[in-house]
Amino acid sequence: MLLSSVIIVLREVLEAALLFSVLMALTSRLALSFKWAGWSLAGGIIGAALYAINVDTVSDWIDGVGQEVVNASLQLGIYTLTLVFLVLLAYRISTERRCCALAITTVMAVAVSLALTREGFEVVIYLYSTMFENQHMPAVVMGAIIGSSIGISIGILFYYMLRNLTVRWSVNIGVFLLVMVTLLIVGTFQIDILKTVYLQFIQADILPSQLPLWNTGDWLSETSVTGQLLYALAGYESTPTAVQAGFYFGGLLLLAFSYLITRGVSSQGNIHNSGEGEEA
Amino acid sequence: MNNRGSCYLIRCLASLVLLCMMTSAAHAGKPVFEIEIRNHLFYPSTLTVPSNTKVKLLIYNRDSTSEEFESYELNREKVIMGNRKAVIFIGPLPAGEYPFFGEFYPKTAQGKIIAE
Repeated sequence: MLLSSVIIVLREVLEAALLFSVLMALTSRLALSFKWAGWSLAGGIIGAALYAINVDTVSDWIDGVGQEVVNASLQLGIYTLTLVFLVLLAYRISTERRCCALAITTVMAVAVSLALTREGFEVVIYLYSTMFENQHMPAVVMGAIIGSSIGISIGILFYYMLRNLTVRWSVNIGVFLLVMVTLLIVGTFQIDILKTVYLQFIQADILPSQLPLWNTGDWLSETSVTGQLLYALAGYESTPTAVQAGFYFGGLLLLAFSYLITRGVSSQGNIHNSGEGEEA
Repeated sequence: MNNRGSCYLIRCLASLVLLCMMTSAAHAGKPVFEIEIRNHLFYPSTLTVPSNTKVKLLIYNRDSTSEEFESYELNREKVIMGNRKAVIFIGPLPAGEYPFFGEFYPKTAQGKIIAE
């Protein structure tokens, strides 16, 4: 019970912590207000609790597939907001640095709230449900504390590592590296979201399911440690269908495209802001 | 303009109703299989379903605690609250074995689906 509690909590907390720390590092580097972080945490916790309380009702919607539709809608919302965020970020770096601060922080706050709601509601249900079984309670609580401590520690470590990036190198290279890391983390997150949205629609029988294109499960199982790691890092899937592979490579293309745009605008930004860079 | 607007609205609503009817008609034709969760165990723990056919799984959670049905091989995951049921569509599956487990109680809640 202890181990499964650690794994369930760590998996959700780690994903959120990585996303959170990269956005915090950007906030610090771009001299934005940190207020969004508090709002998003509060929004996420309230959202997860509300969803967990109402999951009974939600599950019964649309012939019993309400949970899938709500999850997919939440994730489509997060996907759209993260795309808007990347565009605003590129715009802020390319033009004068004071632009669209409120828009960026608002988009971050709403996107992170939705992500915490989606990831957090399962943890809330797990903790709430197992707490009432007396023989499991100590192990579950201990596991949740260990899992969240490891996740939060890695997040804090990652935040300071990212912040120091800008100290070691010149300001412009620092910002460029930070934007690249953001693209990598947000991009991986987006690819994972697209994959899950597609699977949720198939699970609800709204989209037709197809036979898998190939099966690499014998070669690299999704349950193995390497498979799990690749699943978390790059959305590895041993038996993808044609639509799923299309979503995956489409997502990669979109990511490559936003990388090119950001690269283009940040090199432009470097020229515009070279004076400011030397001062800092 | 108003007229055109309401025409468009009616057309949208009609499409939505049609879509719902089509979805429920599609849902109605699928073979249904039931699984129960009792004391953090799946009954039956091995379920045989026809291969290359989409089937509807009805999972009843008879425990007071929640469970999350999860399977890497089937690519499915769904939270099922205590004393509730959940609907999950699976397949069409090529013949073979597909393990599943309860994420909240993985030590005991284990099972597999055999497609043949």
